[in-house]
Amino acid sequence: MSSATAASLQSTLPALLTAYGPPGRETGVRQALRRLLRGTGTFSEDAIGNLHLHAGRGGPRLLITAHMDAPGIIVTKVDSSTGAARLGILGGRRAAELVGATVRFEDGRVAVVTTDRTGGKDGDLDADALSLEGGAGKSSGRKRAASANGARGARLEVGDVAGMDDRPTRLGDLWCAANLDNRAGCAALAAALRAARRSRFDVTAVFAAQSDLGSRGATTAAFGAEPELAIVIDVAHVGDSKETSGFAVGKGPGLALKESGFLAHPDALELVRRAARVAKTPLQYLIRENEGSDARAIRMSRSGVPTAMIAIPARRSGGLWSLVHADDLTQVSQLISAILTLAPKGAGSPSRRARRGKGGRR
Amino acid sequence: MSAPRFREDLLEALSNASGVSGGESEVRALIAAAVRDQVDTLEVDAMGSLVARIAPAGAAPAKHRANGAAPRGRRGPHAMLCAHMDEVGVMVHAIEKDGRLRIRRVGGIDPRILIGQVFRLGPKRVAGVVGVLPAHLLTKEDEEKVVPYEDLYLDIGASTREEAAKQVSIGDYGVFDSVYESWGRVRKGKAFDDRVGCAVLASLIQERPPIPVTAVWSVQEEIGLRGATAAARRVAPDLAIVLEGTAAGEAPGATAEESAPHMGGGPTITIQDRSLMADVRLNDVLTRVAARRKIPTQWKRPGVGGTDAGKIALSGAGVPSAVVSVACRYIHAPAAYLDLRDAQRSVDLVWHALEALRKEWP
Repeated sequence: MSSATAASLQSTLPALLTAYGPPGRETGVRQALRRLLRGTGTFSEDAIGNLHLHAGRGGPRLLITAHMDAPGIIVTKVDSSTGAARLGILGGRRAAELVGATVRFEDGRVAVVTTDRTGGKDGDLDADALSLEGGAGKSSGRKRAASANGARGARLEVGDVAGMDDRPTRLGDLWCAANLDNRAGCAALAAALRAARRSRFDVTAVFAAQSDLGSRGATTAAFGAEPELAIVIDVAHVGDSKETSGFAVGKGPGLALKESGFLAHPDALELVRRAARVAKTPLQYLIRENEGSDARAIRMSRSGVPTAMIAIPARRSGGLWSLVHADDLTQVSQLISAILTLAPKGAGSPSRRARRGKGGRR
Repeated sequence: MSAPRFREDLLEALSNASGVSGGESEVRALIAAAVRDQVDTLEVDAMGSLVARIAPAGAAPAKHRANGAAPRGRRGPHAMLCAHMDEVGVMVHAIEKDGRLRIRRVGGIDPRILIGQVFRLGPKRVAGVVGVLPAHLLTKEDEEKVVPYEDLYLDIGASTREEAAKQVSIGDYGVFDSVYESWGRVRKGKAFDDRVGCAVLASLIQERPPIPVTAVWSVQEEIGLRGATAAARRVAPDLAIVLEGTAAGEAPGATAEESAPHMGGGPTITIQDRSLMADVRLNDVLTRVAARRKIPTQWKRPGVGGTDAGKIALSGAGVPSAVVSVACRYIHAPAAYLDLRDAQRSVDLVWHALEALRKEWP
């Protein structure tokens, strides 16, 4: 295992895990990534909240994305007498997973997700059974609507958005944290971008927003970047894959052959396989029917984009925490580095490039 | 400059007109006639949405452009203002031998409100009632269950298939038999979702707006936000504000917080719904303008509903989008209520927001 990549990830991952960034409010993690990647290219942000890093140096247009949002909650209603709030879930967390979770708002306030529902199966819980306790007492009601930038106390207000208050821990070779999906992917991509020497591709790296709300950031990012080839980096939980595929934590980067609504493109698969040979990383295949990633939205963008999805294998804990093997993460990062420095082959037919040259896109 | 007056005459005409999703022509003709003299260009797009361009005061009139944004510059960002013309209703899908009509719903109508309801069908506005079993044929079970759509039928007084077919055809739309009325401060009528938005939009463009505006009265919102999806791609705006009629939440016994938004409580602003994370900067402009102009506003309950803004936001490389609604009681039903002050305040809020956007939008 290359100690440089591993050490880089070891030092950068915790800050990314704890950065604020629920869907649609990716402010903290965007800032953290900008800091981390200073000097590696040109940054821009778009209407959905995506962070683009353009490291273009000629060659075919390659889009590499990792979504940066992590599941969160939104305050839907505040009881004026007790200050306790009801909440809606933003992203793919089940209500039962959130019981007892500490959530953190952008301004640092924290609150705990509670339920007074006892008995019954956890699976029966829905978000209506959850409350949010911020310990602040009476609410100031609709005040905030009248002064968006006005002073705000510790009180919860309708529309406030919080992410999981993550406490990453290291259990031997495993990372254990709430926001690994997909801050682990962000860390792997960022480390690769920092390590990459001269790329042979015209690279746009996008840290995508609002993925957990239905690949919204990836949809607009792919349209804007108009790539000839795309790679998606995301966490995949082993429980979602077909049992027969043997997809497991600790066995190296996953290469998705099929996801819900997505079939990988042969050219993109070939690029990843070539990179794995160069980087000397193992590859395992991921086949899952009911779960997906941003790869589907990018694959279907405009007239279609050859796309591959590289998965960081993870295990669920049944609660907030996921488990990711540090070696898998390092190898995914090394695999991305190898992709960035490979000589393009087959990708980017002359006709596509010529067309772009003529018509002013954007 | 003060905001234009809300055109109640147009709301009345639009509420009384028929325009179930896919059959918006009557509504479209009314709006076109009402705004023709106020706009620079007026066209019907391939899906049936009505699209009008209006240059700001002091600028040359907007030219017809098949595609692409209006030119930017000192005149501020190009705003798309959008309201949908279609309403929920039913469609005749079979005529039985005994002259009864089988119906499908178009858009979300609660089947619990249908029994005994009078509908107006097709271009001849033929009246029919949703049949009710007489009391002596009802079993205890019948009394407790909601009749599913498959079992509902419309009775237009025909006793044979031939007789019925002289009055109606398969594919005919049905709308609630309901007439616009003033009941004190309340206005009562059908289809306030979203004829009130249509009227707010037509009212706004009685004067040349502060920034370039493309007004879109969209089709097929209630069956999947379809018209706006196509229109947004074509208009390619810098930002979008969707004008809606949304559900007020008041119920007997509910606390003020539980029942928000309130009819009469001022324009309702969306933070998050199933289709959209509203653009934070646009919402800041709206709330700041509201505070400055002392226009009361309220938040829509996060997490519920979805509007054209969800599709517009994901159009192209992404469009910052917000939603301003009039809170109506009993939407998607024959007698919806609204408070006219909310309609005028929505015009005021959006007008002054457009003024602010001329200076404050990057």
